Amino acid sequence: MEENTDLAVPVPPLRSITMEKYQKVIAFFKELGFQFDISRFDDRLIAQKLVCLLELKGIDLGYSCSLYVRGPYSPDLTQDLYAFPAEFAALVSGSRLTPQEKETAGELGRIFGLKPVSLEVGATYGYYTLRQGSDPLEAVRQVKRLKPFYSEAQVALGVSKAKQFLFTPTEKDLEALKEETGIWQRASLTSREYRGE
Amino acid sequence: MQNDILSILNESEGLNAKVFSLVRFKLLASLAALGQDGATYRELKAALDINDGVLFANLNVLKDMGYLTSGKITSEGKELELYTITPEGQDEWKRTRTWLCRFLRCGV
Repeated sequence: MEENTDLAVPVPPLRSITMEKYQKVIAFFKELGFQFDISRFDDRLIAQKLVCLLELKGIDLGYSCSLYVRGPYSPDLTQDLYAFPAEFAALVSGSRLTPQEKETAGELGRIFGLKPVSLEVGATYGYYTLRQGSDPLEAVRQVKRLKPFYSEAQVALGVSKAKQFLFTPTEKDLEALKEETGIWQRASLTSREYRGE
Repeated sequence: MQNDILSILNESEGLNAKVFSLVRFKLLASLAALGQDGATYRELKAALDINDGVLFANLNVLKDMGYLTSGKITSEGKELELYTITPEGQDEWKRTRTWLCRFLRCGV
């Protein structure tokens, strides 16, 4: 029997799927103004942590991060960074970010900047809380165990930035915050009235 | 490929016996996953919880066997030692894992 080729579903070559995957990352780097240089250790670190933070934020870049000796890390991303260094350096990408992705990139850049330590601590804290279900105290303990070479202040800053970027307060959180700070706000208003301001 | 225990044991002759220690397994497994990127000494020490003496000695043994390379890098203004697995190291780790899996009958 002759095969009916009209019924064949065109499947894109694996190569083009991979290209799309890394091109999206380049689009994010471009939006963040990140001039990637494969020869720089800190740049490779920044690239890994940016991608892991975006994945933790719910953006599917196709580079799943797991825990390695370097914290949350994607070996697939490493492969592509080394396979396409010129494209990453020139920030050449056929991929475009959606308005929502642009907003997330802006938020990521505003909160973390391109600071390796904060990004590393933040991504590690986020991984423990979101992927491993650790409570905040346990997550901080794990960050300190895995990254004992960072100071208390560096850990605190990175954790604070991770909370700012990854966790959107719920109605309940906002209500609790209002209750907690309400007394101080009322005291402040009373004080201003007393001073006749 | 035969599955009798004697054949499996005899296949081990193609492996490097010096790789067979827990610390070296930990180091090769960790660094194999990171490929060309490698990991710094301080990252390996913290994540694998190995003391300085043992870590340094085993890294040097793996380097002498040609399975790892090391070099200085700068991160946040600090000079650090970076360890990377070589293609020979990747091959040896792959061979060791494959053999271990057969020996332990993984998936059986």
